[in-house]
Amino acid sequence: MTRMDPVELELPPAPEPARLPVGRGGTWGLTWHGVRTVAVLDLRQRVRSTRWIVALVVWFVVVGGITLLTTGALEAFSAQDRPNTGPILFSAVTALVLGLGLLVTPTLSSTAVNGDRNAGTLATLQVTLLSPAEIATGKLLAAWSAACAFLVTSLPFLVLALALGGTPGWAIVRVVLLVALLLLAVCGIGLGFSALVARTAGSTVLAFITVAAITVFTPILFGLTFTTTTSQEQVTVWGMQDGWADGDDPGPCEVFTAERSVSHTERTWWLLGINPFVVVADGAGTGPLSVHGDGSPLSAMRDGVRMLRAGPPPALDECWTGTAAPAELQDDLRQDLSTAPVWPWGLGANLLLGAAGFVVAVRRLRIPQRTLARGTRVA
Amino acid sequence: MTSTVDDDGPAAGPPGAAPAPSTPTSPTPPPGIVVRGLRRSFGSVRALDGVDLQARAGAVTALVGPNGSGKTTLLLVLAGLLVPDSGDVRIGGFDPVTDGRAARARTGWMPDTFGTWDSLTSREVLLTFAAAYRIPPAQARTRVDELLATVHLTEFADRPASVLSRGQKQRLGLARALVHSPDVLLLDEPASGLDPRSRVDLRVLLRRLADEGRTVLVSSHVLSELEEMADDAVFLSRGRTVSSSVESDGPAPRTWHLRALALDAATAWLTSVGVTWRPDDDGDLLAPPAATPGGVLFELADDATAARLLRDAVTAGVPVLSFAPATGLLEQAYLALDEERT
Repeated sequence: MTRMDPVELELPPAPEPARLPVGRGGTWGLTWHGVRTVAVLDLRQRVRSTRWIVALVVWFVVVGGITLLTTGALEAFSAQDRPNTGPILFSAVTALVLGLGLLVTPTLSSTAVNGDRNAGTLATLQVTLLSPAEIATGKLLAAWSAACAFLVTSLPFLVLALALGGTPGWAIVRVVLLVALLLLAVCGIGLGFSALVARTAGSTVLAFITVAAITVFTPILFGLTFTTTTSQEQVTVWGMQDGWADGDDPGPCEVFTAERSVSHTERTWWLLGINPFVVVADGAGTGPLSVHGDGSPLSAMRDGVRMLRAGPPPALDECWTGTAAPAELQDDLRQDLSTAPVWPWGLGANLLLGAAGFVVAVRRLRIPQRTLARGTRVA
Repeated sequence: MTSTVDDDGPAAGPPGAAPAPSTPTSPTPPPGIVVRGLRRSFGSVRALDGVDLQARAGAVTALVGPNGSGKTTLLLVLAGLLVPDSGDVRIGGFDPVTDGRAARARTGWMPDTFGTWDSLTSREVLLTFAAAYRIPPAQARTRVDELLATVHLTEFADRPASVLSRGQKQRLGLARALVHSPDVLLLDEPASGLDPRSRVDLRVLLRRLADEGRTVLVSSHVLSELEEMADDAVFLSRGRTVSSSVESDGPAPRTWHLRALALDAATAWLTSVGVTWRPDDDGDLLAPPAATPGGVLFELADDATAARLLRDAVTAGVPVLSFAPATGLLEQAYLALDEERT
């Protein structure tokens, strides 16, 4: 015990200058040192629990199993005449990895703040010189690294799908980057809820509901709003004005104006645009834009959304006799695909939600606290 | 919201407040903790309702009060975790609200309940906190080794914190609060869960930290422990400071306990010198004292009276086995608070 005395006398002059760049910082002060301290702490906690290894192994087995089953099924169905096994498998593995990632990731961050608070470890960290932003960033980084570990575990299967051909090589880079960024957004959302809600179960449920809202509810909402975007309008039609006459002669196609039901999906396409699956499909770059598809489900999804974004063509082609439309009408009749990418918007919206969660977490980590959530203790 | 006077603001940078305790300019160390008119409510519950206290640097100050008297809330405000509704706090001259980082850099806080990261080893826990206080790694390693030795956890240094017993965790928590050599130590029930040996160590350690010029504020229910190590005491009752010193009212009457080989001889002598006695807890209230070993309790005005009485009793041939205060001063003051509670 007394052995420490001389050290006490020698050390203070040294630590003081080191620890007193104290005025710097504040709530948003950010240093790599501080972020790393928190991230390493969180990751050590995670990595050393055996559940973590089990989760990764289960993940590998599930993704691998489904990939192999899909491969087998595709081989059986497609025989020789369908060369698109590669793109289909690539799309399937991408969707699987993203889907499972969206399922697992909320749990990685949704207990980060309130879990520590309940365990009594948060306040001791808050009273140190770590800024709230450093604590939040460190926790976000730790959760994201864990999510990326799952992503990396599934890389072999993406590579396998790529090896079957039909998919451009850089698609795997774009898919992995997009999925990683989407998972970062989900981590941010979970972090926000963990700082907002006192109970870990509550924050986890809220994080799941939010992810479900982005993923599942957006297509449903798009479907429900479809009727409101649909209206009776006077449009230019290329077809038979009187319809099929009683006689055998179908009559000539002509240009006329008539009332038709038109869906203006260009007003609601963004509901699909913020869906993570659409974001990845749109940004994957699996093939050129085409109305007819190129055999890759990812491309098909992208083309569909681009079509909805472009909205209905100015004129309707109802001439089924095969008569060629007049040249000046050709352009108006063609179904357009929007060439503007959808994924930056969708990714941006997701990242904005994640950023909102992060900001909430930082604000909630500020001390000293003025208000306390009902039924919580500070420490 | 507390202090509009922000006179210490500019000093928030790297001030010349070099080594830990005494500023070179002032001959007497400034008070480590100054609290004036502190109030804090949680909804309709007034946790702190006018707390005034000063804890001297270089002294151990005991914070005493019944459950729910606001001790923990007070320590949370002092640690910089809670904003007070009103009142003024200075930790080593810094306001924890307006100058949080500067105040926290000087404060070591050990909460009454806290967790450890179960899969981290004791050494890693301390190294993490050293990093969180921006202590350079090389220096942190030596500091952590010292602290582990100080709290006798060296042999557990590389084992996960989950294998530590409650008392060992408590010691790790104490080491954690000390990792950045704070000038001001806030300890909430540090002795709970400690074995007797560790309690003695804690007492010696706190004494030494105070002698180094640090400010030590300890809350505890183990009053005999506190009495042995505390220089000052602050009493909290219903969120208010009731009294901030044991000796402030001069010598207080105290209850003494006397055990004798033959109780009847002792009581006969006590009666003859005019002392009103009563049987102690082991004695039978109804049976008259017998010629067997036993003890009695009585009130004496001050220590001098007690010394005189013992000398007289021994001279008079009373077979005295032991003679000591029945309760500590702190305990007596605490029990007085307890009566107020109802």
